[in-house]
Amino acid sequence: MLSFRGGIHPPGMKDLVNGRAIESMPLVPLYRVLLQQHIGAPARPVVKAGDVVRKGQVLSEPQGFVSASVHAPTSGKVRGVEECIHPVTGLASPCVVIEADGEDTWVEGLPSELDPFSMEGSELVSMVRSSGIVGMGGATFPTHVKLSPPKDKPIDAFIINGVECEPYLAADHRLMLEEPLRVISGARVVMRILGLSDAVMAIEANKPDAVDVMRREVPGSIRVEVLGVKYPQGAEKQLIKAVLGREVPSGGLPMDVGALVHNAGTCAAIWDACSSGIPLIERVTSVTGSGIREPKNIRVRIGTPLRDVIEFCGGVEEDAVKVIFGGPMMGIAQYSMDVSVTKGTSGVLVLGSRDVDRSSYTSCISCGRCVDACPMGLLPNVLSKLGERSMWEEALSFNLMDCIECGSCAYVCPARRPIVHFIKHMKALSREASAKKRQAV
Amino acid sequence: MLYAVFVIGGVGFVAALVLGVAAVTFAVRPDPREVEILDLLPGANCGACGYAGCAAFAHALVEDPDTPMACTAVDADTVQRISLLLGREIEVAGPMVASVRCMGSRDRAGFRFSYLGPRDCRAAQLVAGGAKACVYGCLGLGTCEEVCPFDAIHVGVDGLPRVVVDRCTGCGTCVDACPRGIIRLVPRDSVVEIRCVSSDSPRVMKGTCDVGCIKCMLCVGVCPFDAIDVSSDGMPPVIDQGRCHGCSLCVDVCPRGVIDLYMVPRKVSIVEDRCIGCSICEQVCPFDAISGEPRRPYVVDLDRCRGCGLCVEKCPKDAIVRVGDA
Repeated sequence: MLSFRGGIHPPGMKDLVNGRAIESMPLVPLYRVLLQQHIGAPARPVVKAGDVVRKGQVLSEPQGFVSASVHAPTSGKVRGVEECIHPVTGLASPCVVIEADGEDTWVEGLPSELDPFSMEGSELVSMVRSSGIVGMGGATFPTHVKLSPPKDKPIDAFIINGVECEPYLAADHRLMLEEPLRVISGARVVMRILGLSDAVMAIEANKPDAVDVMRREVPGSIRVEVLGVKYPQGAEKQLIKAVLGREVPSGGLPMDVGALVHNAGTCAAIWDACSSGIPLIERVTSVTGSGIREPKNIRVRIGTPLRDVIEFCGGVEEDAVKVIFGGPMMGIAQYSMDVSVTKGTSGVLVLGSRDVDRSSYTSCISCGRCVDACPMGLLPNVLSKLGERSMWEEALSFNLMDCIECGSCAYVCPARRPIVHFIKHMKALSREASAKKRQAV
Repeated sequence: MLYAVFVIGGVGFVAALVLGVAAVTFAVRPDPREVEILDLLPGANCGACGYAGCAAFAHALVEDPDTPMACTAVDADTVQRISLLLGREIEVAGPMVASVRCMGSRDRAGFRFSYLGPRDCRAAQLVAGGAKACVYGCLGLGTCEEVCPFDAIHVGVDGLPRVVVDRCTGCGTCVDACPRGIIRLVPRDSVVEIRCVSSDSPRVMKGTCDVGCIKCMLCVGVCPFDAIDVSSDGMPPVIDQGRCHGCSLCVDVCPRGVIDLYMVPRKVSIVEDRCIGCSICEQVCPFDAISGEPRRPYVVDLDRCRGCGLCVEKCPKDAIVRVGDA
């Protein structure tokens, strides 16, 4: 079966939710829509306190090309542009707070009837852009940027990422099972934008039902490829290597090898935007883990407070000790219940105390397990030792910047060393130093 | 056997001859002063001088007569000896010392979550901006201690770093390493320092730290020298050490006890023989601590004197001395 070198086999833990149909979460009284829900320049708010907004109305304007706007998840009154805790950075970040009126009325003109297959590629890209679509696997890179490759780097291969290799999560799985046409149609829109005649849908072998559904529904132009079950199979570079046999060069992007990868959830959002003009105001996410009473897959509005999500899923168990946005491997642990769901929230993982190791780390014993596990072919043992001493300049010569922070090394480390944290630390020091250098010039 | 001995021995002899000749012919003779200066420099290679280590700095001192005495770690005596060696006067900046501006020890300032990652403040800062509830406060993982080339700063059991003033050379390595900009360099003779860099509002501060500055402005109002700046908009409270005279009035009024006294300022007394009764001291004293009649020796009320030393600076006859000085 197709796969890549390295990687790990953590317990899947997907049984908790992968058999449960997606439930739509009812409206809540208050939504906190963060302005920065993407990688790139922050968006500027275009509403103010007291404004009445409707579902789907633009709340912020993107600043620059690599930026994305956000939209009102429901109708109601804007309480103001306030500072809320950002689930990714953990810092206070501006957000539009909306008091829902319960009517949930659409903004004028939505949803509309559009035929994306009679529209021009550039028109479709601007639809995607104005809908605020970002990569929904968790990286939140603005999608319209990926759909506008420079002339000298033509895209000849498009992969629809239905791998979902993070343990516990099953949101993409359920989406492919229940709404295969949204995913497939979105993928066809992408193919139209890029002028491609074929595409590959990649699904891990642990989702045979999704593979069956997709094989039945896809048109002849899309090939369904079943991949070996291994983490991080869904990481962009590993996926390209497994499916196309191409290797993204060090420091390069997928477009350097003519490849483009979009998550299944992103494809569904692209379809909504291009077929009915509906912006990205809700997503499917898995609420799961040993610490949640009723694990569920939910369709949740962007900006829904974590507290309400937890409550909708029956609350937390007595021994719940950790809440993570995303999966256990690359997700971000939360310290406050006052965060809200963002476009990149692929899962809400609540772990009980038996699943959380709080012991401290010890010295590297040079066993080399991390070297075997690293899907990028790096030497995490060396990097972690350099990181302990903050020696980022030396680490650069060990290809520090090529680390994709998947956490495979830390997972296999018998000394429980926070290797990814060491690497992030050195990346930050390196970026800081080059920023200083730029300032000095 | 004998053959082998002669061949190896012969090769060795020829190689030794070549190396010996080369060592004499191509020898690099450094300026002997450079070697001596290098011996006098601390050898910590801290980089505070701006050169790549002590050797590079010694080289620059000898080669370029305009090089100032940028090393912060040498004492006055050593500077004297170096200037003798160079045959020129070298300029020295006033000695500085590191000052840690946070008093939020573990029992006074809370944490938002427990942090289990690498023991490095810069790494800890990456996780949701640090575990401490106060986003300005010291994380206490000791990166300053780790980077100090002079073993002059140590994190205590309360989680706050303390500077060993006698060892600190003011090289500024810790200042650069602290991810929260808590440490700064102050002149060695500084008397008071606001030990908080938070620009949080009082409302936020009350929830995060028992001692942090609440921007009550009492110190600003009481300072006779206009040396304290506590602006409300996003800037940390700070004492301008160039203006501060160390009267420590601010220390007394601070309701949070966050203004720290480094040393008790020494009060002054007037030497009767020298005083001509010009009354300048009486006029400049901000505390009405000096009184007397014109043309007769003035007296200092030690209960009122706060040791700011303004009168010492202004006295035209050098008649005012610090208590304790000869």
